[in-house]
Amino acid sequence: MDAFVEWLRATPLSQAIVFSIWIWPACETIHFIGLTLVIGIVGFFDLRLIGFFKRISVAAARDLMPIAIAGFLLNLATGLVFLIGHPEQYAHNAAWWWKVGFLGLAGLNAAIFEVAIGPQAIGLAEGGETPIGAKVVGAVSLVSWFGVLYCGRMLPYLGSAF
Amino acid sequence: MMAWLEGTALATWTRESPSIWAYPAILTLHTVGLGIVVGANAVVDFRLLGFAPRIRIPALSPLFRIILWAFVLNAVTGFVLFMSDATTKSAQLVFYVKLTLIALALWNALVVRRALRRGPEWELVPSRYKRLAVLSLVLWAGAITAGRLMAYL
Repeated sequence: MDAFVEWLRATPLSQAIVFSIWIWPACETIHFIGLTLVIGIVGFFDLRLIGFFKRISVAAARDLMPIAIAGFLLNLATGLVFLIGHPEQYAHNAAWWWKVGFLGLAGLNAAIFEVAIGPQAIGLAEGGETPIGAKVVGAVSLVSWFGVLYCGRMLPYLGSAF
Repeated sequence: MMAWLEGTALATWTRESPSIWAYPAILTLHTVGLGIVVGANAVVDFRLLGFAPRIRIPALSPLFRIILWAFVLNAVTGFVLFMSDATTKSAQLVFYVKLTLIALALWNALVVRRALRRGPEWELVPSRYKRLAVLSLVLWAGAITAGRLMAYL
């Protein structure tokens, strides 16, 4: 892995990211804006799954999801810029690997919802009580996205990134 | 005044304690609050702009209670972060830009909240509220940008 990190750091793209004075702050700003879209819209859907906002059907709450996906793609792109710019500060950073782990958990949880639990929950009318499986998916999603946020913000303090 | 704030026990602890429960925890809570305040506002704004038309708009009003509590969290954590570095931050123009944008965004949110509490059953959202939704997204994105730039300017 260290050989890959060294190779990546030597690429012109990595050099360009590091030597620019504005690329890093601009990407950080976009990363923060993207995180609000993911936390706000996914969090709202999770709260509906758990049993809040019952006047809104699960299907209607899910209609906002493309905006959360757009926010996530912004963060994936800007996150890759950070990784390409300074791979050495993430490769051995426990907080970063925890963050990747929480992202994986969030993804797996969403996949379980889509395949196994979603169809039943999405068929509920307004006011409908979600099944226990949907409540668990909502709670796991909330925990994993706040886990992603926590580990990301703590990268400089639990590890040594900036 | 700023030097006094910076010299208080709370400010000194926040700035100098090596514990991750000091500065890192306060900063993380500030980011959590930011995600909730701006994200929950974005849910309302995108609905007003015509996304997710199956969501009945008045049913979104409980979001403002969540926004209020997350905002209180950020006012408190923000003040403590400010205290810990008051002489520097009070001299940063971008800090006052951030505060102004937040004040305008809050006023905007209060106007939208008042409209939602009247329980409107809009077939089409009036263009006045669409404009407020765009303004809300722009103001919050601006506040985030100004906040981030405080670390660089």
